[in-house]
Amino acid sequence: MAVPILKQGDVLIASMQEALTDRALIELRDRLSDQVGRFRARSVIVDVTALDVLDSFATRTIRGIAYTAKLRGARTVVVGIQPEVAFAMVELGLTFEGVETALDLEEGLALVRGGPAKGGRDGAR
Amino acid sequence: MADGKLAWMSRALPHELAVDEEEVARRKEFLEFRDEDIEQLKGLRELARKYADPVIEEFYRHILSFDETKAFFRDPKVLARVKQLQKDYFVRLTEGDYGAAYVANRLKIGAAHEHVNLEPKWYLGMYAFYLRLVARRLQEAFASEPSRAMTAFLSLMKLVFLDVGLAVDTYIHAREATMRKQQEAIRELSTPVLQIRERLLLLPIIGVIDTHRARLITDSLLRAIRANRAKVVVMDVTGVATIDSKVANHLIQTVTAAGLMGAKVIVTGLSSDVAQALVALGLDLAKLETVGDLQGGIEEAERLLGYEVVRTGAGAQPG
Repeated sequence: MAVPILKQGDVLIASMQEALTDRALIELRDRLSDQVGRFRARSVIVDVTALDVLDSFATRTIRGIAYTAKLRGARTVVVGIQPEVAFAMVELGLTFEGVETALDLEEGLALVRGGPAKGGRDGAR
Repeated sequence: MADGKLAWMSRALPHELAVDEEEVARRKEFLEFRDEDIEQLKGLRELARKYADPVIEEFYRHILSFDETKAFFRDPKVLARVKQLQKDYFVRLTEGDYGAAYVANRLKIGAAHEHVNLEPKWYLGMYAFYLRLVARRLQEAFASEPSRAMTAFLSLMKLVFLDVGLAVDTYIHAREATMRKQQEAIRELSTPVLQIRERLLLLPIIGVIDTHRARLITDSLLRAIRANRAKVVVMDVTGVATIDSKVANHLIQTVTAAGLMGAKVIVTGLSSDVAQALVALGLDLAKLETVGDLQGGIEEAERLLGYEVVRTGAGAQPG
């Protein structure tokens, strides 16, 4: 089942409803990259609220989505990482280095609509 | 011998110490308390009845000659009742029935003594005194048959040590229950996550952080971030005297995990010693955003959330 990609203005929202196969992840990355260009999107939100695990391939692919979108002029925010998933990722050394994160979809939308893109979280001050 | 079911004993005991049929049988086996021992003890029944009064009187003269144990018997009625219970016990040692009812009674007595704060040293000392009294009486009674006195005494000693073991169990069990409650209370106190403004959480940490507690802190914080939709967390470690590398790594993981959930963590209150220790550990501290003290941390957090705190003219006037 393909991940639905919603378009709201210049924001693309991809909500993962279930754990994806590696093939589905790659397909999502390619579709997002394509649609960023086609719809002239300025932001991408990847919503993982429904997931209770993120493995290394998924993490790497989502990071790839963010880098690809950035090269095509769009900013990416990953939203909805659950407490258990966050801690498991950290323990396994998986990170979203350089990728913005937000608590949930509402917060992600507020972030991409309200503020300019930051160069990096560590450079916030 | 057939022991009855002991499941009901849990209800009889305030601490729910479960000593089941199998456990009792195992203890008796270890003590080599056998049928012949039971026969030996039953053979002492008449003797026990004859000596009950003088032994108990001597026993309580001893107890009452020490301030620590005398303190439990200020009330003459209590003393009279306890003496009677002691006589009953004395005779019961020779009645040949050491099954479920006997064990339940011993556990209850042990729990009662623990409950009134009779310390184990006195309680065990009483058993020792008891055995000396009985040994002397047995020698008198079997002056013409010394080996019989010894055999009977050894059987009695096995039974008394069964009793001592049960009594000590009640003390240990009660102390462990107390410690468990205290640890639970400390644990709850040790990971408070406070919401001090909308979307701003404060996590003050005080005391020793071990790995177990560090994990609790992480769990509490991450769940609170979700529950309160927090954007900024101030984690204050002013009250933490020392942090080792495992705990430091864990805190860094906590900060990173919170970041994955979209929350920024500001660490405040790192003491000079802790800061130097962290540097010496060679950890990657780039991930930590720190402010010197709690006040600065809260101010920075409020700034990040778009708050502005200003002093009003009226409030600034002295007097």
